[in-house]
Amino acid sequence: MDEPAVWAYSEVESLANEVSGASESVATQLGARSEVVELGQLRGSVQASGGKLLLKSGSGPGFSSETAAEALRRAAEKLRPTAILVGSTRDGREVAARLAAKLGVGCISDAVKLTAHGDTLTAERSAYAGRVLATIECKFPNVVTVKPGLFAWGTGSSDRVEEFDVGDLPGTTRRTGRVKKEAGAVDLKQAKLIVSAGRGVRKKEDLAMLGDLAKQMGGALGCSRPLSSDLGWLPEEHHIGLTGLTVRPDLYIAIGISGQLQHVAGMKDSKIVVAINTDKDAPIFQSSDYGIVGDLYQVVPALSSALSGTKRA
Amino acid sequence: MKLAVCVKHAVDETELKVDSSGRPLIEGAAYKMSTFDKNAVEEALRIRSSVGGEVTILTVGPPEARKTVKEALAMGADKGVLIIPGTATGDSLRTAGRLADAIRKDGPYDFVICSEGSSDTYTGQVPPMLAELLGVPYVGYARKVEAKDGGVVAERALEDSVETVEARTPLVIAVVSEINEPRYPTLIQIMQAAKKPIEERRPDEAGSAESRSAPTVVSMSAQQAARKHLIIEGSPGDAARKLLDALRKEGVL
Amino acid sequence: MVLLTSEHRLLLKSNYAQHEVYAELLGALGAFMEEKVLPLSQKFDDGSAKMDSTRARLLEQGFCQIGYPKEYGGLGLPFGVYVLAAELAGYADAGMALSVAIHNTAAEGIFQFGSEDQKRKYVSDIISGKKVASFSLTEPTSGSDAKTMATKAKKTPRGYMINGSKAFITNAGEADVYFVFAATEKGPSSFIVESPNPGMSFGEDLPKLGMRGSRTSEVRFVDCEVPADALVGEEGQGFEYAKRMLSGSRIVMGSLCVGVARAAYDKALSYSKQRRAFGSPISDFQLTKEKIADMKTGITAGRLLCMHAARAREGSVEYSSEAAQAKVFATEMAVRVCDMAIQVFGGHGYTTEDVHRHWRDARLLTIGEGTSEVLRLLIASRELARSA
Repeated sequence: MDEPAVWAYSEVESLANEVSGASESVATQLGARSEVVELGQLRGSVQASGGKLLLKSGSGPGFSSETAAEALRRAAEKLRPTAILVGSTRDGREVAARLAAKLGVGCISDAVKLTAHGDTLTAERSAYAGRVLATIECKFPNVVTVKPGLFAWGTGSSDRVEEFDVGDLPGTTRRTGRVKKEAGAVDLKQAKLIVSAGRGVRKKEDLAMLGDLAKQMGGALGCSRPLSSDLGWLPEEHHIGLTGLTVRPDLYIAIGISGQLQHVAGMKDSKIVVAINTDKDAPIFQSSDYGIVGDLYQVVPALSSALSGTKRA
Repeated sequence: MKLAVCVKHAVDETELKVDSSGRPLIEGAAYKMSTFDKNAVEEALRIRSSVGGEVTILTVGPPEARKTVKEALAMGADKGVLIIPGTATGDSLRTAGRLADAIRKDGPYDFVICSEGSSDTYTGQVPPMLAELLGVPYVGYARKVEAKDGGVVAERALEDSVETVEARTPLVIAVVSEINEPRYPTLIQIMQAAKKPIEERRPDEAGSAESRSAPTVVSMSAQQAARKHLIIEGSPGDAARKLLDALRKEGVL
Repeated sequence: MVLLTSEHRLLLKSNYAQHEVYAELLGALGAFMEEKVLPLSQKFDDGSAKMDSTRARLLEQGFCQIGYPKEYGGLGLPFGVYVLAAELAGYADAGMALSVAIHNTAAEGIFQFGSEDQKRKYVSDIISGKKVASFSLTEPTSGSDAKTMATKAKKTPRGYMINGSKAFITNAGEADVYFVFAATEKGPSSFIVESPNPGMSFGEDLPKLGMRGSRTSEVRFVDCEVPADALVGEEGQGFEYAKRMLSGSRIVMGSLCVGVARAAYDKALSYSKQRRAFGSPISDFQLTKEKIADMKTGITAGRLLCMHAARAREGSVEYSSEAAQAKVFATEMAVRVCDMAIQVFGGHGYTTEDVHRHWRDARLLTIGEGTSEVLRLLIASRELARSA
């Protein structure tokens, strides 16, 4: 009888380390082993306290969420892990849901906290566009996706590698192209300071003013959904909100953003939130520490000149 | 072309109230069609207008979910099926199972269209589960969908890239909300939708999919970061200076 | 926030058997206005956005179709439902509400007094928004005393030739169809003038105190030729038609003002809970509470009076006094409520467009479509005649 194991998987390297960390803490509480599952090849930068499980397939190195889920199923049916933790990316969420369906087990999405006790996993996740924190229990075995940016990397590292051949993995969708978003594109997830633009900005050209402010403050430029999807003024990777990015900077400055729940869901964990809006009833003020009720076309230049003034002094 | 759209009768997250102890009042909350499901309905209507066919709305929910089905019919869908389960549960696999049963019974549907996730719980589990249960191709996070003879070419919007994928019908697609702008039904369409058929089913659930270990919500609390809500007054210049001072004191600048 | 509240639902329920259907329709219309009109309202006021395309969408939704029979492209619903829709529109954006309400008044004129051909030709296109319409009655020197009309229509072998000018005309220059009043030998008469017409030109868009999203200007007629079938109804009956069109329109304007008042009230109410003075929110102070109570009571009373007048109109009784009462009360109430809202906001009310624009919007409607003074005379004369 194998020793019980908690599996950690993510197709994204840095996230795989976070999931490995989450898995390590769950495994410790269960007296189980925390194992990182790798598909096709080992990644040196990903660490696990309980070693690695390398899934090999005859179908070549490329995995889609479809084939990744199938590979994990084949391994899981044989090796019977207690829980499978998956990094919550778009692909990762698909892998997890497919895998849970294949195995007929429960699936928890976007866990922000995990504890295990006996036969039950307890997870916290946010719901209702971030207004509610739900505590969810699910008996083992189960599949969980882990929200990025919250779990510390694992501390242990084992050289143990176990291999498992999953056989051929036929896919039903064919990837015919992949365009990486341009290099040098913003990394809002890492930014300590974000200046975010909303509908209050009247024309695309005026975004430069906000971009300059962000630069001046050493931060990055984000936006609410209308700017990236309805107006197309900024690419989608700037979109902060429920269906876009979740960010947690030290300082978040929402400019001309009304503060719909869907937007707030993506920035509510920022340390300090500043809102600048002409509408004093804009909901954004309910989610901010400091507010200026005023025209961004006056306030932003004033901030800029106040900043450069201090620098000169 | 047969198209099905799966929609959810979801808690209206914008109207959610919280009691004095900070517990959200899910019972008695207002319900609406999950916001992003309107994008799924819209996409089905667009596909119908380019290749022809019939759009069926499917939902699993209580009898009141009829309202959501009706709303989708007012947008332009042709008919609705409301599946009222024996017991309500938050298990996505059960929901996917009921939908899969209905799709198998009435199908095959060339396209089953969902949205990336519901606006209330946003787990996004049902669409991939549905594809698994039906054993058909799946295209998730689609931001562009083009129906091409016997298949589909779609763009998937991922975090750092956009993928182009091809798959054959029948298939399940989950669209992202930026794929389109959903139409608002006109008053005439809303009145006409009252005449469109909605079939209510209370199916025999023996043999339907469900999890061995269904997740259950054990508690909920309102999540509100304690914000200071300070409004800084004065001329733009004064306010800007005061704000920067405050931010320096916070140590974030 | 939802534009259609439980108070509207209750009012529908106490008036109509089909209240659930009407509530569903108004709820959908309210959602459209909340999501697509309300967010632009401040921009329409400050001129940073034009309302044409949004107005076209509101008309496409069926805003003006509510009260017309199905055979003319309408929904066949009671007038009261349209009156409540006008309140929602007034809340979302008063300027747009004014523009579509006047547009609809023109359609109403053609529907009530036009020939079958005219009705077929225009009503469905106007109420669906395919054509934009305008109501051209007031003149530079003739407002409430419409009998002194200086615009003349002279009979010609082919039809009529119109000369004169009309002042403060909403939708002027934008409309495709003008419902124009001009005097023939038999007295004031009404005509449908289609734009463009080489004899018709427009003045500059007037700078207004409020209702800034809507366009208002002069309409000038210089040897403006129209065919004989442009005449609506009978010659000499124009003044009678105008009175009847305005009676219905006055209820709508009153209801629009209920919406404007509610928009200002909601802002003041939420501000009163946030703004602190002397260590507590100003909503704790009795003098603020008095304002809240008066504002709320005025709004509810205004809505009920408008609904009462709408029900009288539905019942085909003579309702001009009820309509006048509704308009006088609701428009003056709105000016008062918007004024109180500014007071609650204090200095911020006086300096913030998004607060004082409601007062500026409401202020028009104690003047337009019948001044409060003229309407009081109308109400009083009805009463005096009745008791004689």
